Amino acid sequence: SPGIILVAILLVISAIVLIWWPTDIYFMGITLAGWLMFFSYFVWFALSIIYV
Amino acid sequence: MQVMEAVILGVYLILTTLIGVYFTRRAHSSESDFWTAGKSINTFVGAFALFAALASSSSLMGAVGSGVALGIPFLFAYGFGAVAILPFTLFLVSGQIRRSGVNTLPEFFKQRYGNAVQLVAVAIVVIGMTFYMVPQLTASGLIGSYVLGIDYTTAVIVLGIGFTVYAALGGMWAITYTDLIQGSVMLIGMLVLSILILFQHDGFSPLIQDALAASPNFGDVTQPWLSYFGLFLAFLWFGIVSPSAVMRNFASRDAKTARRSAMWACLLYLLIFVFGLIVAAGGASLGIADTLDNQDMIFVSVIENYMSPLLAGIMLAGLLAAIMSSADAMLLAISAGVARDIYKEYLNKEASEQTVTRIGFTVMIVASIVGIIIAINPPQLIAIMVGWVGGFLLSSFGFPLVLGIWWNRANKAGALAGMLGGALTFLILVITKPFALVSEPIIASPISLILVILVSLMTAPPSAKTQEQVNRYHAEPTDADTKKSAG
Repeated sequence: SPGIILVAILLVISAIVLIWWPTDIYFMGITLAGWLMFFSYFVWFALSIIYV
Repeated sequence: MQVMEAVILGVYLILTTLIGVYFTRRAHSSESDFWTAGKSINTFVGAFALFAALASSSSLMGAVGSGVALGIPFLFAYGFGAVAILPFTLFLVSGQIRRSGVNTLPEFFKQRYGNAVQLVAVAIVVIGMTFYMVPQLTASGLIGSYVLGIDYTTAVIVLGIGFTVYAALGGMWAITYTDLIQGSVMLIGMLVLSILILFQHDGFSPLIQDALAASPNFGDVTQPWLSYFGLFLAFLWFGIVSPSAVMRNFASRDAKTARRSAMWACLLYLLIFVFGLIVAAGGASLGIADTLDNQDMIFVSVIENYMSPLLAGIMLAGLLAAIMSSADAMLLAISAGVARDIYKEYLNKEASEQTVTRIGFTVMIVASIVGIIIAINPPQLIAIMVGWVGGFLLSSFGFPLVLGIWWNRANKAGALAGMLGGALTFLILVITKPFALVSEPIIASPISLILVILVSLMTAPPSAKTQEQVNRYHAEPTDADTKKSAG
C-alpha cells in the first residue's frame, strides 16, 4: 500500500496510450498518438508532485 | 572553419575546467563527497545536479535528430519514457534504496545476492558504458567537424583522445560542478533557441505548418509500433538501471530533499523535451534532412541557421563540454569497474594503489579505442544507440533489481540467470535484428523476469538474514524486532 499506487497509475496510462495508438487521427498535422505521448510529459510531472 | 565559434569553444572549455577545479578545491575533494554533502545543498541545485548527471547532451542532440529523421512522434516516444525516468525511479525504488544504505547498483547486488552477482553486474556496466561512449563520440565528432572545419573521422579521433587525457588527468573533480554549468547552459540555450525559432516562424502553429511543408512526414508514425514501445521502455527504466548518480541522490541526501530534487529535475526534463519539439520543428522546416551525411547533424544546422555566431558558439561549446563531462564519467566508471571492483576486489587484494591506477588507465585507453573505432562509422542514429544502452541495462538489471527489492524469495541463482539470460537475449536480438529497431527489451526483459522467478523458485530460498534485510528495505518489522517487542 504510495509509490506502488503511483507506478500502477503511470503504467496504466502508458499502456492506454500504446494500446490505443491512434495514428489515423491528426491534429495540426501531427498524429494523435504523438500528441498523447507529448501530453503525458505533464502527467508524469503531476504524478511526481502528488508523490512528494 | 568557424573562427568565432572555435574561439568561443576554446575559451569555454578552459573556463569550465578552471571553474570545476576552483569549486572542487574550495568545497569538497571528490564526487562522493559532493553527493554525501547533499544536506548542505538546496533542492534547486540538487535538481540541476540530478538532471545534468542523467541527461547527456548527446542524447538531446540525438532526440532532436531522430524527431526530424523519423518523424516527431519518435521524439515524443523518447520523451514519453525520458520524462518518466525520475517519477518511475522515485515511486518504485527510491525509498527502499535509501533504507538499504548502498550507493551504487553493483553494491546493491552484492548486498542482496552476494559476490558472484556483483561481479557479473560490474562486467555488464563495463560493456554498457563502453558502448555508451559511441554516441558521445559521434555527437562530439559532428560538432567538432563543423566548428573546426576538419573531417568527421579526424574529429572523432582527436576528441576521443582529448576525452581520455582529460579523464586520465583526474577529471573526476571537475565532473559534478561543471555538470551544473553545462546543465544550465543547455536549458537556457534550448530556451533561447526555441524563442528565436518561434519568432522567425511567427508562432507555434505556423512553425508546425512550415515543418510539414518542408518535410511532409514530420507528423507521422514512420516506424513499426514496436520501435516506439521499445524506446519508451528503454528510457523509462534508465534511472533505475543506469549506474549514474540517480541512485546516489536517493542514497545520500535526506529523504525530503531527495524527493523534491527528483521532482524538479523531472520538470527540467519536461522543459527540455518541450523545447526539443520546437527545435525539431525548426530543423524539419529547413528541409535539409535528406541532404545531410548524418541526420544527427540537424541539431547543429538548426543552431547555425537560427543563432548569431556568438550565441551559436556558446551553445555548441556548452554541448561539447557537456558531452565531454558525460564521456569522462563513463570512462571513469569503466576504469573503476575493472581496476577496483574486479581486479583489486577479487584478483589481487594486495594490489598497490599505483598498480590499480595503472590498470584503470589501461582499461580507459582500451575502452576509448573501441569507442572511437565504432564511432568512425556509427551503426545507427544517436537516439537508437542510446536506446540500445538503456535496453541492454534494462534487460540485464531491471528485474533482478526490482524483484530483489520487492520479492523476498528472489535469490542469487535467479538473479544470475535473469541477468545473464536478459543480457544474452538482448545481444542476440541486436545482432540478428529479427524485429523492429530498439524493440529488443520488449522480448529480452520479460525473459529476464521469467528466469529470475523460475530459477529462484527451483533453488533454495535466500537465508533468513537476507529476507529480513528485504523487510528492512520496506521499513517492515523483522523477526528480531518482533521477538524484542514480545520479550
